[in-house]
Amino acid sequence: MPRAMPAPLQLLFPPFSLPLKYKPHPISHLTSVRSSILYPPAVCGNSSTASPHITTPPPPPSSIYIHLPFCRRRCHYCDFPIIALGSSSRHYDDDPRINTYIRLLLREIRATKPYSSLQLPIKTIFFGGGTPSLVPPRLIASVLDTIRTKFGEVAADVEVSMEMDPGTFDAGRLEEMVGVVGVTRISLGVQAFQEELLRECGRAHGRREVDEAIELVSGSYGPRSWSLDLISSLPRQTEEMWEESLRLAVSAGPQHVSVYDLQVEEGTKFALLYTPGEFPLPAEAQSANFYIMASETLKHAGYEHYEISSYCKPGHECKHNITYWQNQPFYGFGLGSASYINGVRFSRPRRLKQYEEFVKDLEAGHMSAKNNASIVVDKEMAMDVVMLSLRTAKGLDLKSFQRSFGESLVLSLCRAWRPHVESGHVVALDEERKAISIGKFDLELNGDCQLGRRVAFLRLSDPEGFLMSNELIAVAFGVLSP
Amino acid sequence: MRALYRASRFATSTIRSLLYESYRFGTFSPLIGGERSFCSHSREKSREGAVDLSQYPPERIRNFSIIAHVDHGKSTLADRLLELTGTIKKGHGQPQYLDKLQVERERGITVKAQTATMFFRHKFQQHEATENENAPNFLLNLIDTPGHVDFSYEVSRSLAACQGVLLVVDAAQGVQAQTVANFYLAFESNLAIIPVINKIDQPTADPDRVKAQLKSLFDLDPNHALLTSAKTGQGLEHVLPSVIDRIPAPPGKCDSPLRMLLLDSYYDEYKGVICHVAVVDGALYKGDKIASSATGHVYEVSDIGIMHPELTPTGVLLTGQVGYIVSGMRSTNEARVGDTLHQAKSTVLPLPGFKPAKHMVFSGLYPADGSDFDALNHAIERLICNDASVSVTKETSTALGMGFRCGFLGLLHMDVFHQRLEQEYGAKVLSTIPTVPYIFEYSDGSKVQVQNPAALASNPGKSVTACWEPSVIATIILPCEYVGPVITLCSERRGDQLEYSFIESQRVLMKYQLPLREIVVDFYNELKSITSGYASFDYEDAEEGVEGKLELWRSTLQSKDFCLSSSKTEYMECNFSSNRFSGRFVTLSNQAINICICFRYLGSIHNIKLSVAEMRVLRWMSGFTFSNMIRNKHIREKVGVALVTNKIRESLLRWYGHVKRQPFDDPVRRVVVLNWPMLRKVEVYLKRLVKLDILLNGQAVDAMATIVHNLKAQRVGRELVDKLKKFIDRQMFEISIQAAIGSRIIARETISAMRKNVLSKCYGGDVTRKRKLLEKQKEGKKRMKRVGSVDVPQEAFHELLKVSKE
Repeated sequence: MPRAMPAPLQLLFPPFSLPLKYKPHPISHLTSVRSSILYPPAVCGNSSTASPHITTPPPPPSSIYIHLPFCRRRCHYCDFPIIALGSSSRHYDDDPRINTYIRLLLREIRATKPYSSLQLPIKTIFFGGGTPSLVPPRLIASVLDTIRTKFGEVAADVEVSMEMDPGTFDAGRLEEMVGVVGVTRISLGVQAFQEELLRECGRAHGRREVDEAIELVSGSYGPRSWSLDLISSLPRQTEEMWEESLRLAVSAGPQHVSVYDLQVEEGTKFALLYTPGEFPLPAEAQSANFYIMASETLKHAGYEHYEISSYCKPGHECKHNITYWQNQPFYGFGLGSASYINGVRFSRPRRLKQYEEFVKDLEAGHMSAKNNASIVVDKEMAMDVVMLSLRTAKGLDLKSFQRSFGESLVLSLCRAWRPHVESGHVVALDEERKAISIGKFDLELNGDCQLGRRVAFLRLSDPEGFLMSNELIAVAFGVLSP
Repeated sequence: MRALYRASRFATSTIRSLLYESYRFGTFSPLIGGERSFCSHSREKSREGAVDLSQYPPERIRNFSIIAHVDHGKSTLADRLLELTGTIKKGHGQPQYLDKLQVERERGITVKAQTATMFFRHKFQQHEATENENAPNFLLNLIDTPGHVDFSYEVSRSLAACQGVLLVVDAAQGVQAQTVANFYLAFESNLAIIPVINKIDQPTADPDRVKAQLKSLFDLDPNHALLTSAKTGQGLEHVLPSVIDRIPAPPGKCDSPLRMLLLDSYYDEYKGVICHVAVVDGALYKGDKIASSATGHVYEVSDIGIMHPELTPTGVLLTGQVGYIVSGMRSTNEARVGDTLHQAKSTVLPLPGFKPAKHMVFSGLYPADGSDFDALNHAIERLICNDASVSVTKETSTALGMGFRCGFLGLLHMDVFHQRLEQEYGAKVLSTIPTVPYIFEYSDGSKVQVQNPAALASNPGKSVTACWEPSVIATIILPCEYVGPVITLCSERRGDQLEYSFIESQRVLMKYQLPLREIVVDFYNELKSITSGYASFDYEDAEEGVEGKLELWRSTLQSKDFCLSSSKTEYMECNFSSNRFSGRFVTLSNQAINICICFRYLGSIHNIKLSVAEMRVLRWMSGFTFSNMIRNKHIREKVGVALVTNKIRESLLRWYGHVKRQPFDDPVRRVVVLNWPMLRKVEVYLKRLVKLDILLNGQAVDAMATIVHNLKAQRVGRELVDKLKKFIDRQMFEISIQAAIGSRIIARETISAMRKNVLSKCYGGDVTRKRKLLEKQKEGKKRMKRVGSVDVPQEAFHELLKVSKE
């Protein structure tokens, strides 16, 4: 269990012992202003991330991820921890498997010790899956109730997101979810508008369900914000199909669009059948083209490309996902879910049986960090910050990064990326977020003057830089963890 | 001191005889090492003096070796003999007992010479069955030698400690190239040769065919061949008796001052350098001070014993015995194979044949993981403790950073070194294309020896007037249906055919002189693939064959009243003084070397028995086709007869149409002049070697430079470029790959820029997983070598090694 882990280490690093390295704890600089006030960065910080809360307790999480693993069937590209219920029955509301799971989930939430007495109101809750819309609204409500009991009343502007699949809800259910239970944001898993592609992916719905679902979600029962999710580079997907999907997506009028690029994951049906870049999957150039098409079409339709695979109308960012990209802590509950609390990342068991045992251990209070828990050390923290922030249009905040990880690291990072700044894949921005030319970048890189006088942010360009993000992040990793 | 020591030895030997009894009744003494249990009466072990070597005067000692083509069953036979004598217990210990290195086991080759001492009761020259109990006990030393030509010097030193060999031939495969090479090594060393036809249990075994081959190729009497199956044990009972009956006892003098031959050495973490030695004359005791003839250094012998089969201290080694010594040498560098060790206070005539290692192949070794130079440095330092025949100098490559230029005895040696670095020392090594040492001579008269192609200036500003490259003499034995493609292969590789003969109706033996550069990479694989694996291949150093042998024989021959001259005179009058026959050798150093051989028969024809040196002369005289002569004639006693009869001349005439008769042909003095075109100097003339550079985005990659024959530059360049294109991944920008000679581009390929590499999937909050994926990608980058702006995967360097043939 995440928080059980640092306990013995506290003895090893008593407060005010000789610091191993003189460095304030990074998290404190990367959190919101409000939490910085509550937890001012400690100047005399102990650098050991194993015991950050001794001198500088990181902020408590104000985001919660809930995993609801039920699906009618497994899609051919999916490698998430899910439980396929089988598509024979259309009525899952009394399915004992769902009831049992939710009971287990509630036990986990109850057994979790709140981070501290200073628990802040929860600001985002995300029901991911799986297909959370298969879970009856009353059970979702019971989860939210338990959260309130455990962590106190949620923030007034709380974002409650839920992934929903076409064909899993009708008007009544939607109304109940949004109006009664309190879901404020829906992420609609459309994936494609073409019957043949939906079939190819093994989706449990067809085009008709897609159209119905869009009509419902964008209608009067729908939430104030919803996202339409698409997948590009599907097998046998043509440029015409993609163009059509993008066009229909825009005309559906969601506030948010997520465009995922198909990843052929090990162990999936697709991995058995296909090789990336080879027919029937689109060639790399074609796949890059799909990405560029999405970026251009959606920008043209008034969407901001605020993260590698996310587009939104102004003000409709997914607040929950932003928690991740800002490397802020979050709770995670349910099968296979990940949490990041107190500098410890922990992934729950992906199998139901082990998950049940985990919950029992947690209740019994003898949770040891036996599996999947890892203390994020400084180096990894820097890597996480770079990796996550570069996914966003905002990019890497150099000043904050420098405060946390030192000037020399920022310098080497800039040096490593210099060729990419020159090639235009990486954009250097000043305080006003105006792009800085390579000449001026060089001046600052080679000049005696302190770095950061002018360059305030580094971001990946859209779309070329985003398309190469792995490559560019790997270059940065080479600097951070040689 | 010595007296005291002997006294204590006496005491222990009494105890030992008591112990001896307990052995015989199968009871085990606690004094005997607990790890193994021994039931053989011959197993005495573990304590100094447990084996009383004084029981074994030279006439009770046999030193022999097993030689064979790879996979003909040498190691299995050795295992069986060790089991048969109880030296190792059957079923215990690992198979291939003497091959201790992982690389030896994996490849089924022997790299390091190993020795095992065995004890065997046998009634010498037994004619009637006697009680085994009464038969005398013999001490047999099995000296296991590497079989490959790379180690032929080590082999020759090991063989120098033997008086006979078991020549093992696979009953189904028959004589192979390495069999031929090994036979001549043994033959030249004047060793008794016991042919062993092994694997007779195989369904395809054809011992009669093999016997016929042995007869026709080596003139070995088919009746003397032993038929065995090391696997089933069939026929093994005859092996050791034959060793004792047919191999002479070591000839050393017990009363002479100590002379011992250093056979091999290795480094032991605890004991330091352990030397394998053969005592030729005299005796050596623990505590003696010994000196090295090569270095003059003096050491004190702190431990001495036999390998039975593990180190077994005996406190003494007597004449003719083979064992180990520990003497406080700090590195194996001090223990030079072939060196003569003697008592520090006496001076002796060194045993013949010592020479320093000669490096035939050079390659750059670099740490595979970027910055890990120190780890590689450490691994190499430790490995050369065990293998002093590698030369190591530091070098720096702009592409690969700091590394080493290493010289090896040959290809296999290089491979083995590489593998041992990785397996035994965990080093991850990146090696550059192996190269041979070239000599370039420029118009201003300066000469450069090039061990690293990168060191050769691409545009030197002066013209090359001559260049030299080493070449080898290759023996290839193959079924005749593959002759066509093999001839094509050899001529593609710039080979000159020296010999072509049928060794039986369906099999052909061919000899080629090939530039070493052409076989450094891939030749053997190519040969195997075009002959479906039926060809066997071996080679010897051609330079050795010409200059080295002249040098070696000059000294040996001079001591035998032969005289060898390189004067340009047509021939010189012979100087007869030997009581057998003598001659004068005149070499004419034109492009072709004329050799004039004069022999005079001085004694009765039938009594002639050739000495080792004489045999060498004979072989040298007939060069690479000695096998033909032998084949047509008789075994060595009779060769002398043949030599002076007209038959040999006829045979020579048949093989070389250009043998001339000399004017003064008289019945007493016979002169043969051979016009010998194939013995030409190993030279490649004028500007025919060029440096081929590989450029990535216009920048030359020093570690990829090669020296190639001008005629092949275009093809090699094209192939290298194609190979690189296949192995360099697309990057964020376009990459041009070029091959160039000087400033002339001869091949070019382009790798287009990568279009997309993005993780655009919702992993939710599973940041760790995302990070790990990207870390993997970063690790991938780390395995790349950055050349300018281009990341080159290490596989690309490895793949380049395989490009060679064209």
